[in-house]
Amino acid sequence: MHSTRLTRRSALRYGAGLASGVLGPTLLTGCGSSASADAFPDRPIQVIIAYAAGGGTDVGARILQPYVEAELGVPIEVVNRPGGGGWSGWNEIVTAEPTGYVIGFINTPNFMTGYLDPRLGRTEISYENFTPLGNQVTDFSAVAIHPDDDRFDDLPGVINHARGQALTVTSTGVGSDDHYASLGLSDRYGTQFDVLHGEGASDGITALLGRHVDLAFANVGELKSLHDDGELKVVGVMADGRQRSPHLPDVPTFEEEGFGGFSSWSSRGLAGPANIDPRVVDKLAGAIKRGIQNREHIGQLAEQGLAVDYRSPSEHKKMLIRDERTTRQLGTKYIWG
Amino acid sequence: MDTAIIGEALNLLFTFEVLAAIAFGVVAGIVIGALPGLSGTMGIALLIPVTFGMEPVAGLAMLTAIYTSAVYGGSISAILINTPGTPAAAATAIDGYQMTKKGQGGKALGISAIGSMAGGLASGLVLLFVAPQLAKVSLAFSAAEYFLLAVFGLTIISSLAGASLLKGVISGVIGLVAATVGIDILTGYPRFSFGTTALQSGIELVPALIGLFSLSQVMILAEQRRTGTSATAQLVRGKVLPKLRELKTLVPTILRSSGIGAFVGILPGAGGDVGSWVGYNEAKRFAKDKSAFGKGEPKGVAAPETANNAVTGGALIPLLTLGIPGSSATAVLLGGLLVQGMQPGHELFTDDADVTYAVILGFLLANILMGVLALAGARLFVKVTTVPTKYLAPVILVLCVVGSYAINNSIADVWVMIVFGLLGYLLRKTGFPTAPVVLGLILGSLAEKGLRQSIVLAQGDVLGYYLSRPISLVLIVLILLALFAPVFRRKMRGKVTEEPEEQKETV
Repeated sequence: MHSTRLTRRSALRYGAGLASGVLGPTLLTGCGSSASADAFPDRPIQVIIAYAAGGGTDVGARILQPYVEAELGVPIEVVNRPGGGGWSGWNEIVTAEPTGYVIGFINTPNFMTGYLDPRLGRTEISYENFTPLGNQVTDFSAVAIHPDDDRFDDLPGVINHARGQALTVTSTGVGSDDHYASLGLSDRYGTQFDVLHGEGASDGITALLGRHVDLAFANVGELKSLHDDGELKVVGVMADGRQRSPHLPDVPTFEEEGFGGFSSWSSRGLAGPANIDPRVVDKLAGAIKRGIQNREHIGQLAEQGLAVDYRSPSEHKKMLIRDERTTRQLGTKYIWG
Repeated sequence: MDTAIIGEALNLLFTFEVLAAIAFGVVAGIVIGALPGLSGTMGIALLIPVTFGMEPVAGLAMLTAIYTSAVYGGSISAILINTPGTPAAAATAIDGYQMTKKGQGGKALGISAIGSMAGGLASGLVLLFVAPQLAKVSLAFSAAEYFLLAVFGLTIISSLAGASLLKGVISGVIGLVAATVGIDILTGYPRFSFGTTALQSGIELVPALIGLFSLSQVMILAEQRRTGTSATAQLVRGKVLPKLRELKTLVPTILRSSGIGAFVGILPGAGGDVGSWVGYNEAKRFAKDKSAFGKGEPKGVAAPETANNAVTGGALIPLLTLGIPGSSATAVLLGGLLVQGMQPGHELFTDDADVTYAVILGFLLANILMGVLALAGARLFVKVTTVPTKYLAPVILVLCVVGSYAINNSIADVWVMIVFGLLGYLLRKTGFPTAPVVLGLILGSLAEKGLRQSIVLAQGDVLGYYLSRPISLVLIVLILLALFAPVFRRKMRGKVTEEPEEQKETV
């Protein structure tokens, strides 16, 4: 019932208009705010996951949970709010009272599509409605082929082939990182891809295993074990620079293969609503930083094939700005423009 | 199948949580099945949210245990008060009730329990050995095949339609229309979401199912509150356990019905009710003394009860390997799988093989436990049929609301449940079947996704793409057969001028 109340209250505040967003929260939490910032945290903190339990974000969050709990000294409640392409959950973060007691995970670039795409009706929102608290994971995009495909064997072969003839490629949905990865590649290198949108990474990977598509666009974490087993072959990781993924040490980056200048990833980090008291932000960000950088946490995520990529709130914000720029540019040009 | 995986599966299975979940599922299933008006489908829909917080093996084993046990439970009220607790038990009522009138109610319950256990076990073994083979083939299924499979699935609406084909088709269309709600998967355009975030991801399956099957049932139960059920416990006379000599005469019937049930179950759309009627008819056809049927013939109880439980394991095969539910109960089970993050298909038998096999072995165990509990506790379960509606309805209502909310922590889902509950109530009051709505909802989105993805994959030549794929060709032929076979049959019949009585068999 607690959550019902929260939703209703959030809706009321939302209805009052985001234009007063700067003033509103200050008024609401104005009195005694300094005292509450000193006392923070004195009750459980809700962490909202915009995806279902058992998914990648959820697993990562639940691995992190005990480490941040230990730092903050209060319980953390992980709350899954899937639906609406993630926006059931992200709306909840945006409209939460900026006390620091309701925060959540934001996933780029998927959550940007949700407010940049004008058809979805959230154009009044931007990354500025969130307070970045630190990035946890960056999972680079990668391209995989079927090992029995005799048309190409490496990334240059794939790109050359796709310049002459359209290849079918997978994506985890319109405006997902995998979608932007193929769009960005075509934009820069003139490749032609027919994009097959599915409902999750496993959809696309199964399609490649059954040889129904030519390429799978997915993240390193999703491809690692199948690549190691030889069921598919990852030909390139879309990371900037020549730094190979520790999870796929035998796979070159795009830049190594001569296709630099474009990178793609899916990242997830913690964020709260805008206008949280800076002292509360410092406390949260500090605890999150120590939690994420904890060796055990890093090791447990590595078992999932995920690379921890901690970024401080200011770095996290820069990352969001950069992601938003790419998303807006590709999205306007190819998806909703 | 490799033994290492079976070992892992056994480790997962023999934990306290899983065994307790199976035992609970068996008891709950028998009780739900025995209560006239409550179906296994409704029970599963109601308990999916409970499994959400459980380990996958425990949750799924519990749901499949409810599924098979409810089918047996349905025979209790069919035998004792001539009111089939589930549609699949209708055939059992014929001879079962006659046995009760002869004072052999206990024996009828015993035969039903043994038949159900045997049928369930046989189908569980078929599931264990056939499903992995089919799962291997499932990699060859792509968008085109899934589109055709979904269309084939939709043709079975006619078998679920009941009295009026037109009403069945209309129900199916309601489901198809509901399936269009949500973000268009290929363009990202939000359809019929009315500016709400909740509807952008489409209509949530489980709340819709809870509404259609559980809430609407509560409303119908509440209406009938004045008509109390008669006390039936005293009707159980005689020994429950049949004599060995009697059992021996039933063995061929049980074996035959096991085969029939498992086969019928694999066919999409032909659920437990079809299985039990076919089982009954075949037992009658093979019997030396046909006149005994309808007058309390034990074989008339054993045949349909074995067959309808044998259907359960068979029906799990297309569900687990292809994600195609063949009946309303398996449609709801699909919701249970998805809640655990388990996508039917190849992965269930590779990445998640340990869990999948543990669930299948749990299903076998559930059938054994069901047989034992049914024989030992027959007199106890009979009392269940006397629980007054005034206690039952409010409890179910609370479970409907709490369950719908719990899955996504979403109030919007509760509204979906209420809307579908009202829809289900209206449909049932006006004689429209609800199962086609669910099939439309599930298969509609599957068909749309499959068709549109296949158009992308075809890269221009759609017809050529469909005709160049062997499995796709087979499916096209199957669809044409399913659509036109009844027409041809009627024409043939017109020529031979056969009596129209025959048609009843397939209802």
